[in-house]
Amino acid sequence: MEEKLRELEERRAKVLAGGGPKRVAAQHEKGKMTARERIEMLLDPGTFVELDAFVRHRATELGMDKVDAPGEGVVTGYGAVNGRHVCVFAQDFTVIGGSLGEMHAAKICKVMDLAVKIGCPLIGINDSGGARIQEGVDALSGYGEIFYRNTCASGVIPQISVIMGPCAGGAVYSPALTDFVFMTEGTSNMFITGPQVIKAVTGEEVSAEDLGGARVHSEISGVSHFSFPDEQSTMEAIRKLLSYLPQNNVEDPPFVDVGDDPNRIDDSLGDLMPDSPNKPYDVRDIITRLVDSSDFFEVQPNYAKNIVVGFARLAGRSIGIIANQPRYLAGVLDINASDKAARFIRFCDAFNIPLLTLADTAGYLPGVGQEHGGVIRHGAKLLYAYSEATVPKLTVILRKAYGGAYIAMCSRHLGADQIFAWPTAEIAVMGPEGAANIIFKKEIEEASDPAAVRQQKIEEYKRSFANPYTAAARGYVDDVIDPAHTRMRLCNALNALLGKRQSTPSRKHGNIPV
Amino acid sequence: MKHYRITVNGKSYDVTVEELGASRYAPAASGASTPAPAPDAAPQPAQAQPAAIPANGGSILTVKAPMPGTVIAFKVIVGQQVKRGDVLLLLEAMKMENEIVAPQDGTVVALRVPASAAVNTGDALVDLA
Repeated sequence: MEEKLRELEERRAKVLAGGGPKRVAAQHEKGKMTARERIEMLLDPGTFVELDAFVRHRATELGMDKVDAPGEGVVTGYGAVNGRHVCVFAQDFTVIGGSLGEMHAAKICKVMDLAVKIGCPLIGINDSGGARIQEGVDALSGYGEIFYRNTCASGVIPQISVIMGPCAGGAVYSPALTDFVFMTEGTSNMFITGPQVIKAVTGEEVSAEDLGGARVHSEISGVSHFSFPDEQSTMEAIRKLLSYLPQNNVEDPPFVDVGDDPNRIDDSLGDLMPDSPNKPYDVRDIITRLVDSSDFFEVQPNYAKNIVVGFARLAGRSIGIIANQPRYLAGVLDINASDKAARFIRFCDAFNIPLLTLADTAGYLPGVGQEHGGVIRHGAKLLYAYSEATVPKLTVILRKAYGGAYIAMCSRHLGADQIFAWPTAEIAVMGPEGAANIIFKKEIEEASDPAAVRQQKIEEYKRSFANPYTAAARGYVDDVIDPAHTRMRLCNALNALLGKRQSTPSRKHGNIPV
Repeated sequence: MKHYRITVNGKSYDVTVEELGASRYAPAASGASTPAPAPDAAPQPAQAQPAAIPANGGSILTVKAPMPGTVIAFKVIVGQQVKRGDVLLLLEAMKMENEIVAPQDGTVVALRVPASAAVNTGDALVDLA
């Protein structure tokens, strides 16, 4: 027995050593942790249970029969984050470059299946050179099996991808299919075709960082949702994100009472709104004043900054916030903002997280680029996502809500459950200047002093329509409220709506205009 | 033959480029790196522009209009040092006085349009170096 135990110990030590001290040192030199160190940092101490440590590849071609790959280049298992169960896999770059072969993929698929069976979040840490070329079509099969599982698990368990090294070619599509992508600055890259291929085909010279680094994907492409300067802060952010989420689609998000009074009145909240309707302000200042402990966890903070989305809590309950950002691009809706918000709304709806919308937008961005880029198609996603969502939907109209953008920002017409308006709200088919020019075109043209008549008509229009009371008269707005009472009213409405049940006709699935 | 105007460090050059045939200069796609064909004549400065010497001697970053609108006022002058996030100008667009901010630290090299100009998406507003 003793001998058998010694053999077990030796075999396990070999797996735990990964690619050996030399490769581990090389990994550390790049500012990267090993797969096991990353898992330890992500999970609560001592909770990690490894699966499939002894799995081996069975490739024999191209010298693979002589290659020993401890753990098959990926560490898989389960553990706890903040005391709640999660499944995890981490590719091990120190073992043949973390390359993905048949059995490497099989380990990942197994832990994915486990996560779905027990209904817990799945976190995948990517650090891989790509497909293990020696294994040919078996490696491709591996990717396909993972994509298929990502898709099947979508909307069932939260799936989080973490990029902490190269992630190129087909490998990028597993993260792309998951709910959130985290990237670590300086060490992570994502692209379909790398710099060498691009140079050979198009002649363009670009570095891996400029092609698919953390900054590119969090500011320009929108592929990544979060980027952080190092691996430790990345892991801390993942733990924080998970704190807002339920374990799966049939659970409610955790209740976290931080002791912030739901009836807290904020007399100076209204002062954040500039006197002139043409002056910008930072909507995040309003968000942090409304939510529990000013704690707002913004998603995609550097992409499509004209709309702000993220998680927070009201009276201890997780909510997803969608807010126009007047400080950036006048808070207009455009292609990227619509995509960003629609995806976030659908995530929240899938995981029973109520929605809070703060509206202040003059409309959709005009321009040939937007129209040719398909703003009709992309803007429609926002309408679709809001209409489809059956979670409690609260809306506060802070200021401008004009035309199509009024409808799009979770209006009554798209199924909002409670709509409040601040007294500064202007709910109208378009802005006063434009409306006066059209409605009173003839009178302005024929007047002896067109400018004076125009101004007079603008004022007339403002009095009649640029206010919340016309909409309130129709019941499109439930109440016009003092900004100081916003938090109290929202907490109250959210509690009242917790029992909301809305069933939709049975169907295979809708056809969102992707 | 094609004519280009190239601005380097705030100085404009009129440049004529002639394609001399594929036999002498292989396209970059072949993988070989070849020097760019020399222009017919040495570039001559076209016109002097109000410009400051870039602090880093590096490339110019042009801040462009993110949407169509009217420039209300510039908040910086040529030669001024700015930090990332400093307001460069106010652009009235979509019924809002939008603050257009510096995307990175630098020196203002040129204001590309007059105040009160109507601009379209992508029009150059301010050059930073």
